[in-house]
Amino acid sequence: MIEVKNLWKVYRTGNIEFTALKGINLFIGKGEYTAIMGPSGSGKSTLMNILGCLDRLTEGRYILNNKDVSKLTDNELARIRNREIGFVFQAFNLLPRLNALENVELPMMYAGISAWERRRRAREALAKVGLEDRMYHRPNELSGGQKQRVAIARAIVLNPSVLMADEPTGNLDTASSYEIMKIFQELNNDGTTVVMVTHEPDIAQYTKRIVMVRDGNIIEDRAVDNRITL
Amino acid sequence: MNILESFKVAIASILSNKMRSFLTMLGIIIGISSVITIVSIGKGGQSAITGEFNKIGVNVLEATIDTSAQINQNDYFTMNDVKNIKSRIPEVLNAAPIFQKGGVTVKVGNETKRAVVIGTNNDYNSILSVNMLYGRFISEKDVLSGRNVVIIDDISSKSLFGYVDSTGKTIKIGERSMMVSATIVGVYKSQGGAFASSFGDRMPVILYTPITFAEKMFQDDFRINQIEILVDNAKSFESASNSINRILSSAHHNKDKYKVDNLMKQLDEVNRILNIFTMIIGAIAGISLVVGGIGVMNIMLVSVTERTREIGIRKAIGATRRDILVQFLIESVIISLIGGAIGMALGILFATIIGSFLGIAPGISFLTVLIAFLFSSAVGIFFGIYPANKASKLDPIEALRYE
Ligand SMILES: Nc1ncnc2c1ncn2[C@@H]1O[C@H](COP(=O)(O)OP(=O)(O)O)[C@@H](O)[C@H]1O
Ligand SMILES: [Mg+2]
Repeated sequence: MIEVKNLWKVYRTGNIEFTALKGINLFIGKGEYTAIMGPSGSGKSTLMNILGCLDRLTEGRYILNNKDVSKLTDNELARIRNREIGFVFQAFNLLPRLNALENVELPMMYAGISAWERRRRAREALAKVGLEDRMYHRPNELSGGQKQRVAIARAIVLNPSVLMADEPTGNLDTASSYEIMKIFQELNNDGTTVVMVTHEPDIAQYTKRIVMVRDGNIIEDRAVDNRITL
Repeated sequence: MNILESFKVAIASILSNKMRSFLTMLGIIIGISSVITIVSIGKGGQSAITGEFNKIGVNVLEATIDTSAQINQNDYFTMNDVKNIKSRIPEVLNAAPIFQKGGVTVKVGNETKRAVVIGTNNDYNSILSVNMLYGRFISEKDVLSGRNVVIIDDISSKSLFGYVDSTGKTIKIGERSMMVSATIVGVYKSQGGAFASSFGDRMPVILYTPITFAEKMFQDDFRINQIEILVDNAKSFESASNSINRILSSAHHNKDKYKVDNLMKQLDEVNRILNIFTMIIGAIAGISLVVGGIGVMNIMLVSVTERTREIGIRKAIGATRRDILVQFLIESVIISLIGGAIGMALGILFATIIGSFLGIAPGISFLTVLIAFLFSSAVGIFFGIYPANKASKLDPIEALRYE
């Protein structure tokens, strides 16, 4: 499913180099629900962006669904982001001028799905996250939790094999956070592999496995005891 | 993403900032409308001139004596030449002799004016169709009996008599003290039109008289110095010209003394100059179109920067470089095309208004409109490609981080 071997990431800003990931090795199997944890600046987002095919690794290998994605072209990566990965951001990243339905339709536009089919699937995805009554609202007419649910609907609408989320509850209150965790668990129960970055231990309690990162290294990788299920 | 979707996205984005979109279009509007106005007026002027020439005669050849050659008394045309040209060349339908003399004086009462006398015969009218307003043109009888009759132009008639219809009046014509009386039998419309009237009083009187009367009047000065020839159609110019030259040279036992021209050749020359004129002014107007295009590029660059985050989001969920490129390119093309359409409408309006002041029907052709259309989309593509390419190259992570 997800296999990372000796992954290095070096950021270059002018003459200054910064090594954010220092030889990460990680395997995440199908159907897993993993939390990536660690202090701020430890490299969680860097790792997540590479796993989400939003950024390129500097060295090492990344095999996603039996495909080595380290050497793919920009267009091939765009296609993988479109079809195989659903990404949820801390900042929601919805298009402000589009309503919920149109936002959810967006990835399907790039997948070349017909307008009618797009509409049908977008409604379905919004229903899945409990927003059937907010379909025509624009992001600024929605609460944070609702925005994040639209973003999740957008991420899952093309049935990706992996759902990735970088601090999805980082901008949300506790009640909304639980709603999101509930949706993630449901998706995971339905077979979707979920990888989520968080620095909140209580949020990590909803997952099945915790990977601890510090200074660009994995320092701990364990199963979750006393897992909370909703 | 297919093109139709890209159009929808582009239109939504244009509509979301209407004022700015309009201001961006303004450059294109000004450019296209001024080019169309100028080209249409130029074309309209051209066809007005062509129309004038057509009225004079499309299928007319003019045989003259080449003044750059050494000329003897025996080289001048004779009535026999006219007869031969008329009867021996199958393409020639008619021919008329002309004796033209300037520096003549006409006198009505105490008033005198300068005049040009054109001595010819009744055939002239069927070749160059003189536009008679009153009375008649020279008749065959006038020529046979050398009658002292004249045909006068309307402008001169008005200035000499105070009214246009001066048929039946008598004028005196001649050089120095040798004045002869002649009766006005017809008034024709001056061909110069508005152009001639701008000469005002300095415009000479142009009189037609029977060639036989002119001969009596000017005696030693008289010679046929021109022949007007009507041919069956313009395709015969070449062969008819050759035949005319051959007949004239063999009758006069000379070589290379005659020129046979057609009026359309002069028209071509006029049109060529007018074309160059239109093109130069059109090109200057075209510069404003380029400036408009730069305006489009400028706004598109601003738009790309403003929408960096949007581009990042689109890329993160699967938009390819091509998707982004096409989206922005279509946006600039739509802006340019709408600007072009408005510019076209305004250009046609301006051309019509200016044309009505100048008395010209503007020559708005489908081709002009098509070129304007293609040109404005070319401007959109040319000046849109750089910003669109810039947008498509944005790195998704950096774009998402942009505030
Ligand atoms: N584009 C970048 N250029 C340079 N350094 C970066 C860049 N992105 C992240 N970093 C650095 O890499 C380290 C890890 O960042 P990040 O992965 O965002 O951490 P986390 O998400 O765990 O807080 C940080 O020290 C950060 O400053
Ligand atoms: Mg982070």
